Amino acid sequence: MELTTNIPNLEGMSECSIKPYDGIYLGMPYCWEYEGNFISNLHDLEAGIEILRSLKKKTYVTTFAVPRNKDLEKIYRLVETVSDLCDAIEASNLGIIRYLTKEYPDVKVHAGGLTNIYTVSTAELLYSIGVSRIVPAYELSIEDIEKMKDVGVEIEVVVHGKIPVGIGHECFLKRFSKIVGRDCPKICREEMYFKSEDLVLKPFGHATLSGKDICMYEHIDKLEFADAFRIEAVTERIGYRERVGSIYRRLIDDGFSRSDFESLKALSENGIANGYYFNKAGQIYVSR
Amino acid sequence: MVELLAPGGSVEMVEAVFRAGADSVYSGVKGWSRRSKKYEMGDEELKKAVNIAHDYGGYLRAAVNAMPKAGEERMFVERLDFLYSIGIDAIILNDIGLMRITEERYPDLKIVASIGASILNKEEALLYKESGADMFVADCKMSIEEMMEIKAYTGMGVEVLIHANTDFTYLGRCWMSSYKALRYEDLDGKAYYIGSPNRGGVCFRPCLFDWRLSGEEIYASHFQLPNDMFLLLDEIPEMIRRGVDCLKIQGREYSISLIHDLVDVYRRFIDEFAERGEVDVEAYRGELRELAEKRDAERLKRTLELMKVARGKANEI
Repeated sequence: MELTTNIPNLEGMSECSIKPYDGIYLGMPYCWEYEGNFISNLHDLEAGIEILRSLKKKTYVTTFAVPRNKDLEKIYRLVETVSDLCDAIEASNLGIIRYLTKEYPDVKVHAGGLTNIYTVSTAELLYSIGVSRIVPAYELSIEDIEKMKDVGVEIEVVVHGKIPVGIGHECFLKRFSKIVGRDCPKICREEMYFKSEDLVLKPFGHATLSGKDICMYEHIDKLEFADAFRIEAVTERIGYRERVGSIYRRLIDDGFSRSDFESLKALSENGIANGYYFNKAGQIYVSR
Repeated sequence: MVELLAPGGSVEMVEAVFRAGADSVYSGVKGWSRRSKKYEMGDEELKKAVNIAHDYGGYLRAAVNAMPKAGEERMFVERLDFLYSIGIDAIILNDIGLMRITEERYPDLKIVASIGASILNKEEALLYKESGADMFVADCKMSIEEMMEIKAYTGMGVEVLIHANTDFTYLGRCWMSSYKALRYEDLDGKAYYIGSPNRGGVCFRPCLFDWRLSGEEIYASHFQLPNDMFLLLDEIPEMIRRGVDCLKIQGREYSISLIHDLVDVYRRFIDEFAERGEVDVEAYRGELRELAEKRDAERLKRTLELMKVARGKANEI
């Protein structure tokens, strides 16, 4: 089982926080303008790849998740820069996936969670054009995801962290810059949430994320058919990535620990949820 | 000539929109489209709708644009065979895998990539084209330049929504509703997710809740996340000139009289432009404003109903 996470920029690359993981996705896919974002700073990206190489980690590079025509060339330049340097490139847009599989047939392509892979037939289509790994749509239940395993494509699932519950053409948070007293990109560093009734959402770049941390620690055995477990930590501080990664590493190696589970709950600012894995609303948590 | 496409939320609405001058209509297949089953059609209704469309010399598009549950492909093929047998003129799909199945089985059937596919760039559109799509619905935030660039690059037809809503998320990339609440039902063996717009059920419109932005302090309160209705008018002449192929009025859930009147206004507007090469936009603006007020009242009523269901205070959707 491969344990992966994502790191947005060089600032987030401490050796301790990387240690529990087998593979790292470099870059923040929700906004070009995020401070130091690898996907906008190719020199930093090359430096990040070098660090991961020296630590003997699998090195993946992500791409902007919602590109319009004007964004394509910028992504092509990134791909050209890293295609020989990394183990795979992740894309969440079918256009980028098409481009990668046509122009770089030797590069491994991972389809990210925002690709919207809901059906076995779409998983088959992507596998047939050369995609080697997919993150199925976040909205799918375990039984749905398991059916995709038969396609032959590698499956990666989010086991912990904040998942996107929406992504659009703009950063909505920017509209509040004056009120908050922070401009882009500093405003993204603030711990801020949209709240209404029982709903808590985290605005982050073009994306809106679940306010709660998706947590499958108690239910990890139900996802054992997957090839990789992802800790979503692109919005989180270094310490979170390190602690959550260490806890899941121990879970994989040594099994369940009540105290580790309690630590995960304590780390989540807004509580935990199972996402959509059990055919329930994303913000619900079902105990084992 | 540009095609005027109208909603067919019921057999009666199908009749009404053709009477008002629509060129074509789209109707949802029960359990398979991006609307409540209340506004979708069963087999017999679909047959009637196809007949009405053809009697008027028009076309019917069947909307199968909700994402099915993984493994429901066989059920989809059965539906597809039925739809083809009754003579639908096109199918609206969201899932690219289902497009490839459709293209392989019925290469002569026109496939429209739904708004839910959220096609954002020309390279993406090309993959849909290669998988069978003939036309794509442009995202509401897409400029006409972007649409035309995609059309030139792929040769696909372009459909534009002229009555719809635009959110702060891309339509096919929003799961806020099902994050809030979700009810799973079985509809004649088909999985049906109430609360997930992508998976067939309705959207509970949580963006229209009363929100606050909270951090070290509460920075803002009593605001809604963007979800705005629009009725295009000024943009339409340029769209027609530049080569937009289809103008779509959304609204299966609205009253038949409202949809009839909207189609009527747009029919006259398009015909005047076609006849004279120009159009007196101001003459139509007042009519549309009145219809927008009626639409807003209907929408508010529906939004409140949906929010009650999301909060567990009502069941009926």
